[in-house]
Amino acid sequence: MGEWIRFFIVAALLLLALACFASAVLGVWRFGYVMNRMHAAGIGDSLGIFCVAAALFIAGGPSWEEAKALLLVFFLWFTSPVSTHFLGQVEFFNSPDLPVYAAAGKEEGDGSRRNGNC
Amino acid sequence: MKEKFWRWLDGSREYLEDASDMDETPYREREEVKTQIRERNDSLDKRRGTRAVIRAEEKGFRLLYSWVAVISAIFLIGVLLYVVSYLPRYGQENPQTTLVARRYLEDGVRETGAINAVAGMILDYRAFDTLGESHVLFTALVCVMILLEKDRKNMRRGYEDYYRITGEGFYTPNRDGIMQAAGFVLLPSILLFGIYILLNGQNGPGGGFSGGTVLGSGLIIFTMAFGFDTVDRIASRRLLKGVTVVALGFYSFAKGYVFFTGANGLESHIPKGTPGAILSGGLILPLDIAVGLVVACTMFGFYSLFRRGSIGGKGKACSGKKAGTGAGTKAEGKDNA
Amino acid sequence: MSVENAYQLLYAFVLLVFAVLIGITLVRAVIGPRVTDRIMSINMIGTMVIASIIVLSGMLGEGYLLDVALIYAMISFVTVLILAASNIPPEKRKRMEAEEKAMQEEDA
Repeated sequence: MGEWIRFFIVAALLLLALACFASAVLGVWRFGYVMNRMHAAGIGDSLGIFCVAAALFIAGGPSWEEAKALLLVFFLWFTSPVSTHFLGQVEFFNSPDLPVYAAAGKEEGDGSRRNGNC
Repeated sequence: MKEKFWRWLDGSREYLEDASDMDETPYREREEVKTQIRERNDSLDKRRGTRAVIRAEEKGFRLLYSWVAVISAIFLIGVLLYVVSYLPRYGQENPQTTLVARRYLEDGVRETGAINAVAGMILDYRAFDTLGESHVLFTALVCVMILLEKDRKNMRRGYEDYYRITGEGFYTPNRDGIMQAAGFVLLPSILLFGIYILLNGQNGPGGGFSGGTVLGSGLIIFTMAFGFDTVDRIASRRLLKGVTVVALGFYSFAKGYVFFTGANGLESHIPKGTPGAILSGGLILPLDIAVGLVVACTMFGFYSLFRRGSIGGKGKACSGKKAGTGAGTKAEGKDNA
Repeated sequence: MSVENAYQLLYAFVLLVFAVLIGITLVRAVIGPRVTDRIMSINMIGTMVIASIIVLSGMLGEGYLLDVALIYAMISFVTVLILAASNIPPEKRKRMEAEEKAMQEEDA
């Protein structure tokens, strides 16, 4: 009976992780501008992979070998914001003048996906 | 139509295609400096009459080069085809696939002392191939150095201003505050993890090549976080050269000794140890370390060459700062002469 | 149905969904009109591959696959760093750093 309880906890955690990753991919697909898409991509990097690692930790009986996965997630939590920071810099330095275009979009209100509207 | 395809493939960098207020002054300045220098060099060359001599020499050399290239390629193709004709036919029962594989898997632990069968294969049974591979890595690094390194022959005298603008000072990796904070925490773990993979080559997945890759990546992250000046104090040109040469020399001599004793039926007294411990597997551990160091130096050397054109800080050519001060004196000297 | 079969079925289903998500992100990497879109998609694919390797390690019961996942995390981090650093135009960055230094000297 205890085995089935563990199975259902692991299944719930894995389905939660799948939901996080699916929402990240949905966000990347639906938003209109890169800066908004990076917000969505961060969900997968932080919560999704933590749920996967926690599920593995519980499934193998809480043991020290599976705790390596949690350390891996800890490492990823350090490196993912640095990557996002650099991607933001790439976008910032390769676009002509972001605040001007964002303001222009709001004034015109043409609803298109240009000028930073999403 | 074609232009649109290439622009789609590269990814657009301008946000709007008709963006008109992009700041183009740095590009224009650089182009102006380039055209000025090119015109000055052309006038100087025309005065000295060197162009005709250079063109004649190049034509003769190019003819000789093409003939030698074609002949050596045909020779190499002939030799390889001759060797291939000795292989067994496709689909035939041959000892390679039945007997050899079985022996590697079944007697591998007993004969080499390594649990990881792949490490036992590449560093014990087939160590000659790995010797060639390490030398290939070293040769690749030397070739990239020949092509990309800035030395006095390809830093033409008139171009110092150009090199000062687009040289080391501009392309130094930015000392980013966020990157430094992350590197402060992560780098010890990354380098330690690389050493862990190197040492456990015979007990689990890992070995020389992957451990060296992780070490090289750690050095690259270190460079991006703290700048080239800091790294040059640790991984200077002398250190990289010395480490590569010593590692490859040690590999050649150690494995040469084993080949010699094995071919003549003598007993090479290298202890095998107990499988599963760190100091086991005979020569596999030292050779792993040698290969890992070569790979790490190669990876860092490639990054350094592509980024700023020289491996150590003070290469054979003038670095960015020196060119800045050298440009003034050299240009004045040339104008006077 | 025993517990082991249930675990294997669950892991197989999760891996299948991850494969579909990776495929969709790959399409975004091909379409995305800007350079940054593509680098970001590669980063996301790397994270999802790490997640699938962790699930695979539970499925096969092998512990060393977590080392492989850690190496993959490191390599994808270095990849994104270098791709991003190659696409930042250095003149603009130098100008911004000079402006920031000037502003700091004004404040101090």
